[in-house]
Amino acid sequence: MSKARIFALVIAAVMVFGLLSACGGNTGGTTSTTAATTAATTAATTAATTAATTAATTAATTAAPTTEAATEAPTEPAEEVVELRVLNYIDLSAPGAMETLDVVWKAFDEAHPNIKVTREDEYNEPFHNSVEAYAAAGTLPDVLFAWPSGRSTTLHTQKLLKDLSPLVERDGLAANYIPQATMPENQAGGYMAMLPQGNTATHMFIANLEVLEDAGLEPATTYSELVEQVPILREAGYETVIMPNQDTWVMQSCLFSMVVGRFCGAGWENRILSGEAKFTDPDFVAALDFIQQMYEDEVLLQSSIALGYGDGPGQFATNQGAYYIDGDWRVGMFITDNTTGEALISPDRQDNFKITVFPEIDLPGVKLNASNSAVLGTGWGINAELEDGSAKLEAAWELVKWLCGEEVQTHMVRNGGLPTPSWIGIDYASLGLEPLQVQMANFSNEYSTSTAVVDGVLQGPVYEPLNDGLQALGMGVQTPEEVAQVTQDAFEAWDAAQ
Amino acid sequence: MTTNGQKRFSYAVLVLPAVLIYLTVVAFPTIFSIILSLTNYNGGRIFGNPDIGFVGISSYIWMLTEPAGNFYRALGNNMLIVGVSVFGQIPLGFILAYILTRKLIKRGRSFFQTMIFLPYVISPVIIGVLFNVFILSQHSVYMEIVKIFNPDAVFTISKTPIAPVLVVVLWMFTGFYMIVFMAHMQRIDPSIDEAARIDGAKESQVLRYIILPSMTSEIVTCAILAISGSLRTFDLIYAMTAGGPAGQTRVLSIFMYNAAFGGAPNYPLANAISTVMVLISVVLIIVTRQVGKLFKEKDA
Repeated sequence: MSKARIFALVIAAVMVFGLLSACGGNTGGTTSTTAATTAATTAATTAATTAATTAATTAATTAAPTTEAATEAPTEPAEEVVELRVLNYIDLSAPGAMETLDVVWKAFDEAHPNIKVTREDEYNEPFHNSVEAYAAAGTLPDVLFAWPSGRSTTLHTQKLLKDLSPLVERDGLAANYIPQATMPENQAGGYMAMLPQGNTATHMFIANLEVLEDAGLEPATTYSELVEQVPILREAGYETVIMPNQDTWVMQSCLFSMVVGRFCGAGWENRILSGEAKFTDPDFVAALDFIQQMYEDEVLLQSSIALGYGDGPGQFATNQGAYYIDGDWRVGMFITDNTTGEALISPDRQDNFKITVFPEIDLPGVKLNASNSAVLGTGWGINAELEDGSAKLEAAWELVKWLCGEEVQTHMVRNGGLPTPSWIGIDYASLGLEPLQVQMANFSNEYSTSTAVVDGVLQGPVYEPLNDGLQALGMGVQTPEEVAQVTQDAFEAWDAAQ
Repeated sequence: MTTNGQKRFSYAVLVLPAVLIYLTVVAFPTIFSIILSLTNYNGGRIFGNPDIGFVGISSYIWMLTEPAGNFYRALGNNMLIVGVSVFGQIPLGFILAYILTRKLIKRGRSFFQTMIFLPYVISPVIIGVLFNVFILSQHSVYMEIVKIFNPDAVFTISKTPIAPVLVVVLWMFTGFYMIVFMAHMQRIDPSIDEAARIDGAKESQVLRYIILPSMTSEIVTCAILAISGSLRTFDLIYAMTAGGPAGQTRVLSIFMYNAAFGGAPNYPLANAISTVMVLISVVLIIVTRQVGKLFKEKDA
């Protein structure tokens, strides 16, 4: 062999080795590399790059808790150690988040020395991207946080999560939970893919009595009263309703779902899905028309469409508006963060805020009032690939029972992370709750009927055009009839594709 | 002395790593993306999943016919950005480069050059967030200034919300093309300019008969960069508006991202969108090259 050929081969070998080394990485990054590679082949280039970046980033955050957990576990466990990969959803900026990491996860580690948990903490879009990437790669974690539908649709419809009904039945747990928590029909796949930690009211209406008093007003009890307050509040320098509407889901989930329930009545979703009713029917159009009217009456300002979801609570807590609309999960943003001792609304001010539902809509065509939109809350599921009877499945189920059990739910209620727990019999009186939390515990008394949440009962191709349409109404670029027609067309196209 | 065979072998071995990288991170994902766009894959395991099957071009048909018309709105927005890039950034960049290189202003050339180029070196995400905070909300700096003159002013959303995005796109990338043009203008032999001046050529004639013909290749290259960059634009708009309000600023890449990762995932649709993006990009680049060729031939 000539010198040139040997030289070329050596150079090439070094380059290939270098390439392979670059593709490697530490042990913590193995899973994410697989997921990222698969994601890159799954979706289009840009989307896949995002997923890959996300997965790679999360791999780094996984390393720290793992090491910590490992060092805290007893050096000589009595039984064989079962390792569990867990994908956790946590907003680290939420009050009490850091405390939750310690109290919930550390306590489990200490109580279960034979289970080694490798936890990955994610929040918002990176969490959902990671789930999709793991699902595509076939490397779903053993235990993961999930929604009953919506963003977790893949997990349910592709049956990627284990049916927990046999385990719930085996351990006799059903009696400990609110009935809707264990009903299979409440989850997108038609089976009990996750055990929910709570029930979620996707709409709440908070009145700021400090602002109202300053303007010489009382909380509005009807929509007409609310409209009458608009000029008075504006004169006093306040917005009427603060609602962070920049993300399209907010209007749909936190206001329109309640409104459509009031105009179309309970069970409207079943009539739509069965073909008995259409989105273009007068009652649905009237619900859309009401949203447009709220903008025209300046109850909602057009600027709310430019207000980011994270910016709403701060504006409301600093008395920039008289009322605030969001989901019940947002109460946790206002109370004291146990880690820092700080609160957006300090406990001594909290009695000046009244949590209720939207006032009576005193307009023609309304079928219900004092109603709210509600859906099963988030919870925990187990990878369907875990074998029945295996030690890993038992360990995973042990973890899910803990995460959805009384102790964790009580802790979450206490720190504001769980407005309506699924566990029956939590003793609120003993928890030393702040005034807003006490109001939240009694929130269900503020309404008599629960109606469906749009994105909980309809699929993405149907509710996404509706979400856009709700913003278009605020901008004045579409009419209620046009939005209804687009939604109906989208529904028919989706229905035909099934 | 080496034989031709040995040379070829050496070349082949040396390019092998680059070819491997290209096949792995460019060719394979592109082909796989096209294949996925023709399947019914909708989440879950990709390989070894018995439920995945070919469904033809149904995703493409859905993309082109879906009732909300998202594809056409996104494509329209992309074309507006392409238009601003090709007919805004490039001419403006050329004019600015011409003014600075030909010393048509006497003082502060370095200052202007730096200020015009500066936006390009800032992350698009930061620019997007800054514009959002400073302009696009009721409590923005812009509104605070407006309220000094009109205390009752209320922020309203334009019925054409893509307009502010186009302004930012123009502002951000013009500096890049200015620097490219300046680099090439400075390479033009000064003796040609001097000879033209001695022959009595005016500034406009120097521009028309010396500078522009010598810059044809650079203008075509810049146009290709502008087109491909405009079609894949994502970060700036996502940070600035996330495609909203009401999807009015959604471009193809955001439409694709939402199809893949927003709500219930629709991977075949996302891949169909990406395939069409590549096709549009290729067509526009071919057109640009042909136009460039025509100009070159004319000048020759």
